[in-house]
Amino acid sequence: MSQNEPPGGVFGLSYDGETKIFEALKLVSTAIIVLVGVWPIYWMTQLAFTKYRVVSSDHTYFPWPDIFTVNNFNILTDPVMYTYIFNTTVVAIGTIVTVIIVSLVAGYGLARLDFPYKENFARILLIGYLFSPIVIGIPLYQIWRSIGLLGTRIGLIIALSAISMPFAVWLMWKYIMTIPEAHEEAAWVDGASRWRGFRDVVVPQCRPAIIAAALFAFALAWNDFTFAQILLPATDTTTFAPGVLREMNQSQFLPDAYLMAVSLAMTLPPLLFAYFMQSYLLKGFQVRAL
Amino acid sequence: MAGETGESVRPGRAFIPWDDLPVSRETVIGIGTILPVAVLYLLIAALPIAFAFWASLHNIHTLNPVWEWAGFSNYAQVLELNRFWGSLWRGIVYMVGSTLLQLAVGLWMALVLNRITYGQKLLTAVVFTAYLIPTIIVSLIALRVFDPQGGVFQMIGADYLSLWAGGEAPLGSRDWAMPLLILIGSWKFSVFITIFTLAQLRAIPNRFYEAAKVCGANRWQMFRDITLPRLMGIILVVVLLRSVFMFNKFDIIWQLTQGGPGNATTTLPVLAYKTVYTDQAYGLANAISVVMFLFLLVAAVGYFMVFNPSEEVETTA
Repeated sequence: MSQNEPPGGVFGLSYDGETKIFEALKLVSTAIIVLVGVWPIYWMTQLAFTKYRVVSSDHTYFPWPDIFTVNNFNILTDPVMYTYIFNTTVVAIGTIVTVIIVSLVAGYGLARLDFPYKENFARILLIGYLFSPIVIGIPLYQIWRSIGLLGTRIGLIIALSAISMPFAVWLMWKYIMTIPEAHEEAAWVDGASRWRGFRDVVVPQCRPAIIAAALFAFALAWNDFTFAQILLPATDTTTFAPGVLREMNQSQFLPDAYLMAVSLAMTLPPLLFAYFMQSYLLKGFQVRAL
Repeated sequence: MAGETGESVRPGRAFIPWDDLPVSRETVIGIGTILPVAVLYLLIAALPIAFAFWASLHNIHTLNPVWEWAGFSNYAQVLELNRFWGSLWRGIVYMVGSTLLQLAVGLWMALVLNRITYGQKLLTAVVFTAYLIPTIIVSLIALRVFDPQGGVFQMIGADYLSLWAGGEAPLGSRDWAMPLLILIGSWKFSVFITIFTLAQLRAIPNRFYEAAKVCGANRWQMFRDITLPRLMGIILVVVLLRSVFMFNKFDIIWQLTQGGPGNATTTLPVLAYKTVYTDQAYGLANAISVVMFLFLLVAAVGYFMVFNPSEEVETTA
C-alpha cells in the first residue's frame, strides 16, 4: 500500500461503515449466487413433477397437489431411454477405471523414477488441453470405422480416457510427489519389490487423488456429447446426450415434462457427488494442473 | 534407489544383466509406466491430427470410401470460403465474450465463497453442481425456458421487458442467439474459474491481511495489494484454458441452435461438423480441423510467450 493515500475506508467511509457495507454486499452476493445456481435445477424439478398436459399448455411455478404427478418418470423405463442411460453408465464406469489405472501408473513413474525426457513428456501431455473434441472426432470417425471401433462403447471409452489424461496424470504425479519416499524405502528394506511398494504403500495413500481423478473422469464421461454424437451413430449403443437430442427431433410424443423427468434423473448422480465429495473435488483442483 | 542389480535374488526369475546393458533398469521401468498414456495419446491425439492432415489433402465424400488426391486445394477452398472467415469471427466473439463474462462472474463468486461464514458446504455444492451437470441438461432446460410455448423466460422477455415479440423464439432470432449462448454457457462454466481461484484464495495466509489491517489499509487496498497479485498467476492460466475450451465448444451450440438461425451462431467447430454431415465433404472438414488446430497452437504458444503463466504459478507456491 502506498504512503500517500489517506487512511480510512473506501470512499472515505469509516472502517466500521466499510465493514457494514462489505457484510451487506456479501449477503446480497450469496443470495444471488444461490438463486441463480439453484434456479434452473428447481425449475427442472418442478416441471418434472407436474402433469405433462399442464406443462405443455401453461406456466407453472410449483407442482401443487392438483397438478402433481410422478408418472413422468415412467419414461425411465421406456426401452429407448433406458438403453441410453445404461450406455452412459457403462461408458462412465469404463472411463473411470481406465483413467485411474493408467494415470496411477504414469503418475508413479513420473514422481519416483528417473528417465530421460521426463519433464518434456509431461509438457507434451498438456498439449492435450488444446485438442478439441471436434478436431479429434472428425478424423477418429474414419479411423474407428476402418478398425471396427465405430459404434462401440469401447471406442468411446478410449477416446474419453485419453481426453481425461492430461489432468489425471498431472494430478497423480503431483500428489505422489507429496508422499514421503521414506515410506516406500521402509517397505523395500523389508524386502518388498517396487511393485509391492507401489501397490501396498503408494496406492493406499493416494486415495484422495484417486477419488478426485475418478470424479473428473466421471464428469467428463457423463457430460460428453461431441464424441458420442460422432463415434456412436447407431441408436442402440449411443449415450444419453446425443440420444435424447435425436429423440426430441424424431419422436412423435415426448412432452417437456418427460424430458425434465429424465434430465432430473441424470442430474442426480452429479448432484450427490457435488454435495458429498466436495473436499475431494477441491483437492483435485488444488493441484495446479499446468 | 533402483532395484537390486546383478544376481537375481528371487529364484525362478530370469537373470537380466542390467550392469552390462546400455539402459538402466530404472529407465526401462520408468518408460514402461508412461507407455499406456503414450499409447492412448498417440491413438487419440497424434494419429487423428496426422490422419486429418492426410485426409485434408484429398477430396472425400463422407460416406464413400474413395479418396481422390487434391493436394492443397482444400486449404485454398477453406481460405476462400466466406463462411470460414465469418465462422472464425463468430468463434472469436463467442470465445472472448464467454471468457470475459466467466472471468468476472467466476472471480466474484470465488471472492464471496472465500469470505462466507455459514452455509459454505451447501454453497460449494451448488457451485460444483453447475459444473458437473451435463451440458445436454443445461441445454434442455434452456430450450424449455426460452420456448415461445410455455417458456418462462421467453414470456418475461416478451411481456415485461419487450426484448422480443410474443410468439418469437429468442434462440431462433439473429440478434439474441449469440448473446444467449454466451449467457447460458457461462452459467455452467464460470464455476471452473471459481474453483481454481478459490483454491488460490484459501492458500493466502491470513496474517497478510492482519498485517495490512494494522497498517490501516482498507478492504480495497487489501484486495489490490494482497489478493490480486496472488491470483494473477492462476487467472492467466484459467483465462487461457477457458478461451481454448470456449473456442472449441461444439456441444452446447449444437444442442441449442444447431449453428442457426442461418449462420448466426456457426463457429468453426460447428462449421467443421456441418461440413462433414451436411455437405458430406470429409476432406474439406479435415482441412478446417487442421486450420483450427494450428490457429489454437499458435495462439497458445503466443500466449505463453507473452504471459508465461506456468512460471507465475510456480512462484505462488
